[in-house]
Amino acid sequence: MYKDFKGNKVYFSTGGLNLVNDKETLCFVHGAGQNHYSFTQQIRYFVSQGYNVVAPDFPGHGFSEGNQTTSIEEDMLWLAELLAFLKIEKATFIGHSQGCLTILELAEKKPELVMGLVFVAGAMSIPVNDFLIDTSINNPEKAYDLMVTWGQDSYGSFSISDWPGHNHLAEGNAIMKMNDPSVLSTDLKSCNLYENGKQAASTININCLAVLAKFDMMTPLKKGLQMVENIKQCDYKILECGHFLPIEKPKELNALIKNYLNS
Amino acid sequence: MSEKYKFDTMSLHSGHVPDKETGSRAVPIYQTTSYVFKDTDEAAALYNMEVGGHLYTRISNPTIATLEQRLASLDGGVSCVACSSGMAAMHLVVTAICSSGDHIVASNKMYGANINLLQHTMTRFGIETTFVNPNNLEEIEKAIKPNTKLVFGEVIGNPGLDVMNVPEVAKICNKKNVPLAIDATFNTPYLMKPITYGANILIHSLTKWIGGHGIAIGGAIINGGNFDWGNKEKFPTISGSHFALNGISFWEEFGPSALTAKIRAEGMYNFGPSLSPNNAFYILQGIETLSLRMKKHIENTKMMLKFLKENEAVSWLRHPDLEDHPDHKIAKKILPLGSGSIIVFGIKGGRDAGKAFIENVKLSSHLANVGDAKTLLIHPGSTTHSHLSSEAMKMSGLTDDMIRLSVGLEDIEDIKIDFEKGFKAAAKISSKRS
Repeated sequence: MYKDFKGNKVYFSTGGLNLVNDKETLCFVHGAGQNHYSFTQQIRYFVSQGYNVVAPDFPGHGFSEGNQTTSIEEDMLWLAELLAFLKIEKATFIGHSQGCLTILELAEKKPELVMGLVFVAGAMSIPVNDFLIDTSINNPEKAYDLMVTWGQDSYGSFSISDWPGHNHLAEGNAIMKMNDPSVLSTDLKSCNLYENGKQAASTININCLAVLAKFDMMTPLKKGLQMVENIKQCDYKILECGHFLPIEKPKELNALIKNYLNS
Repeated sequence: MSEKYKFDTMSLHSGHVPDKETGSRAVPIYQTTSYVFKDTDEAAALYNMEVGGHLYTRISNPTIATLEQRLASLDGGVSCVACSSGMAAMHLVVTAICSSGDHIVASNKMYGANINLLQHTMTRFGIETTFVNPNNLEEIEKAIKPNTKLVFGEVIGNPGLDVMNVPEVAKICNKKNVPLAIDATFNTPYLMKPITYGANILIHSLTKWIGGHGIAIGGAIINGGNFDWGNKEKFPTISGSHFALNGISFWEEFGPSALTAKIRAEGMYNFGPSLSPNNAFYILQGIETLSLRMKKHIENTKMMLKFLKENEAVSWLRHPDLEDHPDHKIAKKILPLGSGSIIVFGIKGGRDAGKAFIENVKLSSHLANVGDAKTLLIHPGSTTHSHLSSEAMKMSGLTDDMIRLSVGLEDIEDIKIDFEKGFKAAAKISSKRS
């Protein structure tokens, strides 16, 4: 769905349906260099489960226009303003990777918006090595390739997919190529700069869920577990896959989110 | 972390890991029409294409999905749909993108059935095609109209062996915002990957070199995921509202894989040209040795070219690897490993000599296929292209004396001996005439 928001055309997927006032809302927050397609196998599934779904493309990502945000704090403010614009008072936020930093920040600064939190392949900080940042500036397509390769478990090598006929390594690359070439480096720098994760995590007073990936090379499992320890009430599950968990283990993730929502 | 495996490794492994329950190393043949749903929730999610999985083999099947994923990885595509034949694949692409009132620009040097589909069948449904010389870039650009939804060609034309300048045609298509669909049957991903040159959609007849054994008919569409379908007015079937699935836009929900999602949700669902799981298995066995076979095909083709060039019974010889071929330069650039294993040549003495040749070879089989492990021959003018008008045949570069040779994997010395017998018989006819 497209809307004019803050002077720009902004896209957020609702799974093809209009938002309905009396339904509970799930907000999916994508990671660095990604867009709403990170959650292709979650968005329409949860719409069918009876939820409003909002999966925005952040400015400059996917179909959304506008100047890119340059910090996690800006991401959080943009998201909060978008929800206010859509008249959504409260939502459960499901973040992936960088999206986890955004929802951590949101939980601390705008707790009134937060009904629930699901951290997918996340951590309290996501330091990015200089090589990847430099590559994302000088040769974005190489950086996409590196991220997609590092980000998927060995099943990516074998084009294994629940989704018949899909080749996730190439598809991951294609999704990242849909963004402006400057998007990835700006996102990675935002991740690198963010230092408030631990503080934000310590303020969370609601039940949360973390779904972590055993073979995650982007946000290693141990960092995800540190986040779990810093949140008062955070259940967690570890799936045998890589960083792109929503694509690699969609059914398992959906079932875990569904259980969390019903608990 | 994923490994980026090389071609030979992907040919053997992509799309499959040993079965968790049985340990089966080979890809199992899931000879089933349907799949028991775990619960109503899962059934609804599958029907609604919310998550991946299988509900009915007309739409998808685990054995076929392995084949699709292997093909997508070999060609560098984001997704693939396998179907009952190469022609079914072409039909699926055209009907996924075009509707009545739309227009296609296509090579005039294509396989006869491709031309027939566009020239005669699709016109009955209001889809018009302008046929162009595949190597006249200016003509291609001029032929693209506001309602053009597809540019279509073959990397290596059948049977004229014209080589399309895919990188340059792709640039034109990109400029005009029209997807470029390429029939890549004659090159296979071993010789060339058109997506890396800017093509958007690939069509394969899997029956040919990919299967390689002449035992299974099949086709596939490989989606490059590199085309922007976002213009709703121009591509309403992909980015507009779908008649089912709550009226979703495939482009908005599936992005790079929008085309294959559309084909699966509409083409496979409503037309039903599904591949059988058994045939998918046979084709997978072929893919396991694709690079080995292609190397030998190319090696034998080189030797046959030399043999035919030096043979007095041959009046003319055509192959893109020959320096006198009009597209030799582009072939060298985009097909550096070789321009395939089809050779066309003329026999002195015309139609009757050609007939005598074909009837007197023994090892080389006279039949309507190419890309088999065995050497195959045909006289296109009286068989594969016999339904074309004289004018259309001429446009496709066909002549009465033309023989199409699909070079096989035999010891090439045996094929040469076999050909000598055919040439001897042809020469008798030729000398009687003179």
